[in-house]
Amino acid sequence: MREPLRPLRLAWTFFRISALNELQYRVNFFLQLVQSLVAVATALAVLALVFSHTAQLGGWSRDELLAVLGVHILMGGVIRAVIQPNMQRLIDDVRQGTLDYALTKPADAQLLASTREFRIWQGVDVLVGAVVLAVAAVRVEAAVGIWSALGFAVALLLGAILVYCFWLALTIGAFWIVRMEFIVELFDGVYQAGRWPVTIYPGWLRIGFTFLVPIAFAVTLPAEGVTGRLDGATLAGAAAFTAALLAFTRWLWRTGLRRYAGASA
Amino acid sequence: MAQREPDIHVADLRKTFRVPEREGGLRAALRSLAHREYRDVDAVAGISFDIAPGEVVGFLGPNGAGKTTTLKMLSGLLHPTSGAVAVLGRAPARREPSFLRQITLVMGNRNQLQWDLPVLDSFEMNRAIYRIPPEEFRRTRDELVDLLDFGDLVRTPVRNLSLGERMKAEIAGALLHRPRVLFLDEPTIGLDVTMQKRIRTFIAEYNRRHEATVLLTSHYMADIAALCRRVVVIHHGEILYDGQLSALGDQFEAVKTISVTLGDGGTDLSVYGEVTARDGATVTLKVPRADASRVAATLLRDHVVSDLTIEDTPVEDVIERVFAREATRA
Repeated sequence: MREPLRPLRLAWTFFRISALNELQYRVNFFLQLVQSLVAVATALAVLALVFSHTAQLGGWSRDELLAVLGVHILMGGVIRAVIQPNMQRLIDDVRQGTLDYALTKPADAQLLASTREFRIWQGVDVLVGAVVLAVAAVRVEAAVGIWSALGFAVALLLGAILVYCFWLALTIGAFWIVRMEFIVELFDGVYQAGRWPVTIYPGWLRIGFTFLVPIAFAVTLPAEGVTGRLDGATLAGAAAFTAALLAFTRWLWRTGLRRYAGASA
Repeated sequence: MAQREPDIHVADLRKTFRVPEREGGLRAALRSLAHREYRDVDAVAGISFDIAPGEVVGFLGPNGAGKTTTLKMLSGLLHPTSGAVAVLGRAPARREPSFLRQITLVMGNRNQLQWDLPVLDSFEMNRAIYRIPPEEFRRTRDELVDLLDFGDLVRTPVRNLSLGERMKAEIAGALLHRPRVLFLDEPTIGLDVTMQKRIRTFIAEYNRRHEATVLLTSHYMADIAALCRRVVVIHHGEILYDGQLSALGDQFEAVKTISVTLGDGGTDLSVYGEVTARDGATVTLKVPRADASRVAATLLRDHVVSDLTIEDTPVEDVIERVFAREATRA
């Protein structure tokens, strides 16, 4: 009995339960909102500072960079609300041997491990990012048509999947090396670089940000969608890369599980 | 057909771990970077047993005996190195969903409930994972909550529960899908005596109501004595004993204890057996098992006896001695 939508239903149930619970802690919402707004204000100040000296940065105008900033904040929200908490929990589970429980459940273990945690208030950044993005879209002179909107949505989804794959691949390292907490800081540091379009970085760094840490796909590509720079071929390439990485992490996950023997025998 | 087949079948089951090995010290540590040396450790070294449907079996052994490794192979977490293992007729390591829906694993020292969520929400997650129909879910949940006397605590976040309450919640959560086979690894560890008793009664009641098969490990003999008629004793990965708990003493303990209170007092009884204690007029003797009734009869004939009891050595002591003996032999 195959039900293609069952994984989504399960994820939705988990999301609903965590979200309803976190809704009780409304003070977290305001804290997060203040934090997000301060971050946005800082970023806008930096942007203003840069553009007081120049009209363009690596071929990107001020409003286009605003779009990049919007996507960066939005994707950061997705990462902190969904991807990071789940991966953190997976690392803890591997260390404490509680991953055993996920493996004795009649559901796909990777799905369970990837959807159990939702930090809804961290998702405030998704809204803040969307607002910044909307402002940018209005100000960018190229009209945002239905196709570029669609391209943006697809690019955003692919970017989120790629970031997930990247995190998961690193987290699976926990099956071999038990201490993996440092990857959180590592990723946060590198992700900050995504505030600027990867095209402004020198070649070797650009390649690194594209294929090693998928910042180019996560941030720059969706921003290109909004600013009308994204072409179909690039999007198709991104889709192919995403599919390949998804398959690779699936394989890595299974290999890691075979390695996993619980914290105590 | 399922009635005749054993629920759990294990034949010559083996699990060997390769563990890296090195001497202490920096030099050895550096050397092991380049060239690792491994040693094979048999965690489970060829064990066989069958467990019939509805049976409650105690799995005994000291730490590191191979109990948890065996439970992990039975619940599909570890692949056996060799040998056969079948639970409900399936190979556990294949982890088929239809198989996993019929078993459960509870580990007393590890939590599976969502720490920050109320217990009810964790139950709800399990409902989604096991795809339990809503009506059946409500019924089972209410029954379990009632049996465990859990009441309003289901609305409390797990982190605010006491250890005992949390364990109750863990067990209830692990049984929502009404598994046919229960693997319980130290379900009462760290709990106070009252709570241990409560959990014990609950397991017995669940077994009675649903005819579930239970394989239980515990360090508390009281758990085993209350729940299991049959025990499997494992040590160094091998089975030392498999049979009735009540017969364990026959095999491993060659003596019985006679306590006798004498009316004439003060007499030296060492001719009858080894005197292990003397408390006023009451004397405790250890005598060979086969001689117990003859010695008792002689005592009754030769002395003025106001009270006399013959006892098997408590199971705890037997077990302790079995393991101690095996440890010195190993």
